[in-house]
Amino acid sequence: MIKIPPYLKPSQTIGIVCPAGSMPLSKIENCIHQLQAWGFQVNCGKTLGKRSSYFSGNDEERCTDLQLMLDDPDIHAILCARGGYGVSRIIDNLNFARFKKYPKWLIGYSDITVLHAHVFRNFHIASLHAPMAGAFNDVNGAAYVATIHKALTGEKMVYTYTSSISNKTGIAEGALVGGNLSLLTHLLATPSTMNLKNKILFLEDIDEYIYHIDRMLVQLKRSNLLAQLAGLIIGSFSGMKDTKLPFGKSVEEIIKEHVAGYSYPVCFDFPVGHTHANVALKHGVLHSLEVKKYAVKLVEIRG
Amino acid sequence: MRRKKFIRSITLAGAALQPFFAKSMIPYKQTGIQDDLLQNKPITSKPPYLKAGDTIGITAPAGYILPEEILPAVTEMKSWGLQCKIGATIGQRDFTFAGTDEQRVADLQAMLDDDQVQAIMCARGGYGLIRIIDRLDFSKFIKKPKWLIGFSDITVLHNHVYQNFKMASIHSKMCNSFPDVFAQADSQQQETILSIRDALFGAKINYAIPFNVRNKLGKAEGPLIGGNFKTLESLYGSKSSLVPDQALLFLEDTGEYLYSIDRMFWNLKRSGRLENLAGLILGGFKIKPDDAGEEFGKTLEDIVLEKMKEYNYPVCFDFPVGHQKNNFALKHGIKHLLTVSDNNCSLIEAV
Repeated sequence: MIKIPPYLKPSQTIGIVCPAGSMPLSKIENCIHQLQAWGFQVNCGKTLGKRSSYFSGNDEERCTDLQLMLDDPDIHAILCARGGYGVSRIIDNLNFARFKKYPKWLIGYSDITVLHAHVFRNFHIASLHAPMAGAFNDVNGAAYVATIHKALTGEKMVYTYTSSISNKTGIAEGALVGGNLSLLTHLLATPSTMNLKNKILFLEDIDEYIYHIDRMLVQLKRSNLLAQLAGLIIGSFSGMKDTKLPFGKSVEEIIKEHVAGYSYPVCFDFPVGHTHANVALKHGVLHSLEVKKYAVKLVEIRG
Repeated sequence: MRRKKFIRSITLAGAALQPFFAKSMIPYKQTGIQDDLLQNKPITSKPPYLKAGDTIGITAPAGYILPEEILPAVTEMKSWGLQCKIGATIGQRDFTFAGTDEQRVADLQAMLDDDQVQAIMCARGGYGLIRIIDRLDFSKFIKKPKWLIGFSDITVLHNHVYQNFKMASIHSKMCNSFPDVFAQADSQQQETILSIRDALFGAKINYAIPFNVRNKLGKAEGPLIGGNFKTLESLYGSKSSLVPDQALLFLEDTGEYLYSIDRMFWNLKRSGRLENLAGLILGGFKIKPDDAGEEFGKTLEDIVLEKMKEYNYPVCFDFPVGHQKNNFALKHGIKHLLTVSDNNCSLIEAV
């Protein structure tokens, strides 16, 4: 059974850290103000605005900052300010002993996929795949950012949307897991790999060559991770690049090809990924997915 | 050694013990049957070396190539006394591929099964083998093995036949790297091309490696396995996956950001693949420059060596293998001796 961290009450505290890439404080201000406007207190970690070449501090500094947040009983959720790259370098140095006893919401996406997968695989704890600090600066993103507040305060998540691409219809029920495709394949065979059997898997990616997307899907397939899904949700694959000789297929066509032999529903265009259309998803939590040709409904199931 | 025997005994004891060991097991070993196959077959099989009059088949299992682009290779290999059989995929095209999956499978399968073909050279890499590898039938190949030749995307083939059948193959340049006029090519280009001939005709591998001050010194012996790093990563979790215990692992890559190389090394480490190596060989890494403001701040050597702190095996950089002119033929899967010292770095095929 999945453990769901306690939902947040007004005046509880959200810690903000940068466990991966560096981010200037000025770009986190809107996020801080909005969290406060929602009635939360904000605790800024030492890694905010810090920089050690690419990273927001060296491995020890990033690890220590996140560790303090994990262990601090006065912090009720942890929002990662940005992704980039870096959680893989520190994940095995984090001590989750206290977090296991007193889970709290971990919030983020992209490189933070490592964190979501790791706590789901090892501790069966739910987390929040959601926009990060940068999204609070995007005027088009307000409605999506607002879903973080809904999720954290315990609203039952219901998402309906219309896809522009025809879906593979069907209904499914299962724990909702996933994230960035490159990171998920990068985690294969490590102690953070998730078992995807009977799961509703969601995928997104950015700035990859189309043939890389194909190769990663073949890899998932050859690792027997695609065959036993309950359902598949395809988010945005933004900034895709092609080779000089074009690959000849779109990401959607590639996915349709690889799931052709499976009977589970597959929906496209889901608002998750590296664009402003990125809703908060309760990672690890049971959901139902209803996919019609163009209409999609994802609903959290309450126990 | 004790550890190795311990792991072996787990495998032999079979499923009954698995729940007990589930937590301590190295994750990457959970996936396949290949471990059992490897343990039952301790020595790599070598296909017969070539002799004058033998035939080399040329096929394109991945990217598309024009017939005229393989002509220099055909001319040169004919001068070695070989005949060339040109596969149907040469000149065939389906977007970036040398034909559809079905067409590429059919061509490579025909070469694998053809008694008149003694070795198969892939015309070029690109992308495509992983899409077809599970559709190939190796039953005839196992009985009558032949040398498979190539690198880059062909890393899939090398690792698949090694992990599943413990079969040796040749990691080397392909048809698209042969100089237009051999006699006019520079000496390094000539030497690398001739190293393919030498390997195919049975000469022992013996390469001097340029010294890099950041090498970790030592001597090690083990089967030489590896290839293109990104391609190797795409095999993890599958039955072609890299199991480099007690091996000399060689890696090369092109067009990757430093952060991506770092991430790939973390995957190797976190999946337990670095701890039992015999030695590590880094070939050429054509690194994609960092985007402005996203400078990674570590060199390739930094990235590798920070993962090596708790290990004692030798590590050498700048080995002449990779997406570069200086890319010598290697016998994948065959036991070699790696020596890394201040005044002598070499890779020598074991007797």
